[in-house]
Parts: sequence; C-alpha cells; structure tokens
Amino acid sequence: MSGAQSAEAIRVMVVDDHPMWRDAVERDLANAGFEVVAVAANGSEALARFPAVRPQVVVLDLQIPAPGGVEVTAEIVRQDSSARVLILSASGEHADVLGAVKAGAVGYLVKSASREELVDAIRRVARGDTVFTAGLAGLVLGEFRRMSEAPSSPRSAEPQLTDRETEVLRMVAKGMTYKQIAQRLVVSHRTVQNHVQNTLGKLQMHNRVQLARYAIEHGLDEE
Amino acid sequence: MTRDAVWSSPAAIDVENRLFRVLAVLRVVVLVNAVALNLYRADNFSHPAALAACIGAMAAWTGVAIWGYAVPRRRTLLLLAADLAVTAALLLATPLVKGPDFNTSVPGFWTMGALLAWAVHYRWAGGLLAGVVLATVDLVVRDDISQTVYGNAFLLMIGGPIVGFMSASVQRMATERDLAERSAAIAAERARLARVVHDGVLQVLALVQRRGRELGGEVTELGRLAGEQERELRSLIREEAAVVSPGHDQALDLVAELGKLERSESVTVAAPATPVEMPATTVGELVRVVRACLDNVAMHVGHDEPAWVLLEAFPDRLELTVRDEGPGIPPGRLEEASTHGRLGVALSIRGRIADLGGSAKLATGSFGTEWEFVVPRRGREVSA
Repeated sequence: MSGAQSAEAIRVMVVDDHPMWRDAVERDLANAGFEVVAVAANGSEALARFPAVRPQVVVLDLQIPAPGGVEVTAEIVRQDSSARVLILSASGEHADVLGAVKAGAVGYLVKSASREELVDAIRRVARGDTVFTAGLAGLVLGEFRRMSEAPSSPRSAEPQLTDRETEVLRMVAKGMTYKQIAQRLVVSHRTVQNHVQNTLGKLQMHNRVQLARYAIEHGLDEE
Repeated sequence: MTRDAVWSSPAAIDVENRLFRVLAVLRVVVLVNAVALNLYRADNFSHPAALAACIGAMAAWTGVAIWGYAVPRRRTLLLLAADLAVTAALLLATPLVKGPDFNTSVPGFWTMGALLAWAVHYRWAGGLLAGVVLATVDLVVRDDISQTVYGNAFLLMIGGPIVGFMSASVQRMATERDLAERSAAIAAERARLARVVHDGVLQVLALVQRRGRELGGEVTELGRLAGEQERELRSLIREEAAVVSPGHDQALDLVAELGKLERSESVTVAAPATPVEMPATTVGELVRVVRACLDNVAMHVGHDEPAWVLLEAFPDRLELTVRDEGPGIPPGRLEEASTHGRLGVALSIRGRIADLGGSAKLATGSFGTEWEFVVPRRGREVSA
C-alpha cells in the first residue's frame, strides 16, 4: 500500500447502469489521476468484480438493477471494512440515501455535483473522511430524532448523539462548511470532522446491532 | 359505469352466486319444515293423495330450483317465472287439498324460496313484484282474513323489496371495491414504471447540467435549463413518493412541499427521510414563510446566492431554519420599514409564525442571516 495515499494511486470502481454516466465519470476520474480498476452496470456485476479488484473507493449509483445500491453497499462493507462507498445518486430518494448510509456508505453526492466536487469527495473518502451534504445531515438528524422517539425499544438501547454532535450536525445541515463550523465553535477542523464521522459511526453501529439482534431473534445465526 | 355494467360485473355475479348458494340451503330447510308440518297435520287434510302430490311437487321443484340457480346463465326470466308460478299454484291448490277452511297453506314458509330468488336476481323491484303476487294469491285463496294471514302477506310485501335492496347494495359495493382494487394496482404499477423512466431522465438532465457548466458559453445556459428541469422533476417524484395516510385528506407532507423550493444552484433543503404531516393550511403558511425568506435572500443578497433550509421534526414541535451567507440585514432597516408604514417582510414573517402559535428568532450580522422558527405540532401531544 506504499504510495497508495497519493491521488494517482487511489483505486476506484464505478457502478452505474447508465453507460453514458459511467463513461463520463470514468473519464473524469482518469483525468483527475485516479485508477478506475473496474466498472459495473448492476449490483451483481459489482459484487462479482469487487473481490477481484479490491478498490479503495466505490462510486455507487443507488438506482441500479438488483441487487440495489443499499444491498451492494452492505455487502461491500461486509467483505472489506476498509472499502469506502461513495453514493452518487440522481433521484436522491431520501429513504434510499439513508438506507445506504446506514448500510455503511461514507459519503453522498447528487449527480448534478460538479466534477471538482466529485474528485474532491473521492479524495476525502479515500482519506477516511466522510462526505456529508447538508441534505444528508438533515436525513441523519431526522433519523436520530426518530429513533429517540421510538417507543418500542428501551431508550438506553438507542444510540444518542452528544449535544456537541447534534450541534455540529445541525450546522452541517444548515449548509455551513467544516471550516465555518470550526471557526464558530472555536475548535479545529479535525475536531469537526471527527464529530461528523462519529454520528455516522453511531448510525451504522446501530444498524449492525439491529441486524444482529434480528438475526438472533429469528434464529438466522445458526447455520 | 352504467347500471347494467354494475350488475354484470364479475364481482356482482360473485355476490349473486354466493347469495344463491345460501338460498339453496334455505330452500332445503324450508322444504323439510313444510313437509314435516304437513305430515304432522296430515289428519287435517281432506285429500291425502293430493297432499302427497303437493309435497312431491315441492320436493321436485326444490331440486330443479337448486340446480337451475346454481349457474348464472340458467338464471333466466323463464326459470324465475316458473319458480313463482309453481309457488303460486301450490298456494292456489291449498283449499282443494285442505278444504276451504284452512289456517296454514300447504307450501307455508316454502314460498320464501321464490320470493328471495326474485329479490336477489331482480333486486328491489323483483322482490316487490314477487311479494305482491304471492301476497295476493295467499289472500285470494282464503275465505276470511285473520290478523296472522294479513301479517304474513304484509311481510312478503316488505321483505321482498328489502332483501332486493340489500342484495343490490352488496353487489354495488363489491363492484366498487373491485374497481378500486384494480385502479390501486394500476396506479402502483404506473408509479413503478414512472420511477424507472424518471430516473433515466434525471440522469440525462444531471449530465447535461454538469457538462454545460464545464463547457461554458452558450451551453452553460442549456445546462442551467437542464438543472431547473431536474429540480422540477425531482420535487415531483418526492411529492408522489410521499404517502399521506388515509383519513387525513387535509394533511400535507411538509418535507415534500419544502422540497419544491429547492434550487440545485442555490437553495438546499435538508429534512428528515420520513414524511412530516401537518394540516394543509399550516403547511401552506410555513412554505409561504420560507419562500418569503428565500425571496429576501434573492433580493438583498443575490439571485443565485446560496441559501439553506433545515426542517427538524420533534414530537411536539417543528424547527425550521433558513440561512444565508449574505451581508446581513443592516441594523435599523426592519424598524425603518415599519415606521414608513410598510409592513415589511420581517414583520409579515413574524406575523405568520405568531398566527401558528410559534416563535421566530432572527440572527443577522456579517456572517449572514439566520431565521429560526419554532412551531408547535397540535394534536400530536395527545398521541405522544
């Protein structure tokens, strides 16, 4: 993995069922110095090619022929927890975006984002950062609110955001950049990034716990 | 749907089939009852041989009727007329079998078979006609009319139309339900197809927008137009996807409505993934407030300057934030507007929020302008 941290070596897989888009993204990424190690037009191709090429970043469209983006995300993260899934979605259906993020995606961009934004987002997720849009922050905030209201399970079982995390997430949802948030709260850029990452981590952890609990309750763990 | 189509729809025929199946059971029950009663009072009869013939006819006709009514295409006027004629004939035969001075007719309750068949098949009019015919015959064959006899005749007259009316109602409801189920299935399939098509269109629009921006020149305008259409289509899809629970026809999803204000170049709307339902009037007011804030941004900050809208839903309240990064509202401008007799945007925004029982907070300065509204969710406290 020596030299893998430089932009030239970032290995990317592009999953999109529209050839036009796939080609455009592939070309943009190649021009930006990334190595596009594989492309896939649907979920099964993506899952078949992923283990062979082991990309660092998977740029994934949510609306692909089955298995869909959410399942593909979950499976990729299960196989390789170091793989970063960046969602690139055209329709931005809220439930799908949230589902993918819960399944382990670390970033989300709408397809109308510019090439610079896409290239920057891939660099950031490859570095281990999360790429949050204001829209995604709103979804995640809403999800934590919903979970804290859910009467079904004891409050202690639900993940909760600290006051600081909520504050940071609200600022992201209001469109503030990490830099602006850092200035406003008089903390470092890194601290802001950590807070955002933690919120996503809690959401994904909760999702895994839920899945595991479901599996145990339904006897799915006994093979 | 025409009247005839209602009665000949598969759902209506299904209902009729079921009613005739029940009627077949009823016919056997009333036949057994009639036979038993007649045998029990066999010594009342002046002509036992004729009685036996009558009972035989009843049993035979019951069999024919059950067979005949079992299949829709055999339920012809001929069969129904014959059913009514046989029943009337047995009533007419009663004085000959029992002697002129009798209490109970030979067929007795067995007459209801023909009455109900008419009611089921020809609905209230058929029930009424059969009731009138049978009641008339029953009254005609008697020398004197007791209260019981009158009561029975009266029951025939009103029972027929009532059963007929109810049969028609059930058939109509079944037809309507069938129709509703079918249109729901069609709508679901159409929505599924639309999603596929929309996604394809969104992809192209997004690509045109992106390339347009990169190529510059005239194509930039093309890209901008594509961006506008992309936004329109996306909010349309979101609107379609928002499921408003039945029984709340005046409820609207605030998330979908706010989503319409999104502009891909400037306005970002952040909201929960699940619908936030509020009364339509409240949603309308909140959307107007947010639009007023955004208009303010366009006017005082710049047309394509970015603005962000954040909706947070709590069990008891909504929090709505509209933020921009403009130069802020200069101190005194709001007061100036109101002293000049103009209502002022800020005042009208505050007024609308106050009318909803909420509060508005304005933070403005060199960092930009941020409106924060808190609005109570009425009716939710009860369920929470």
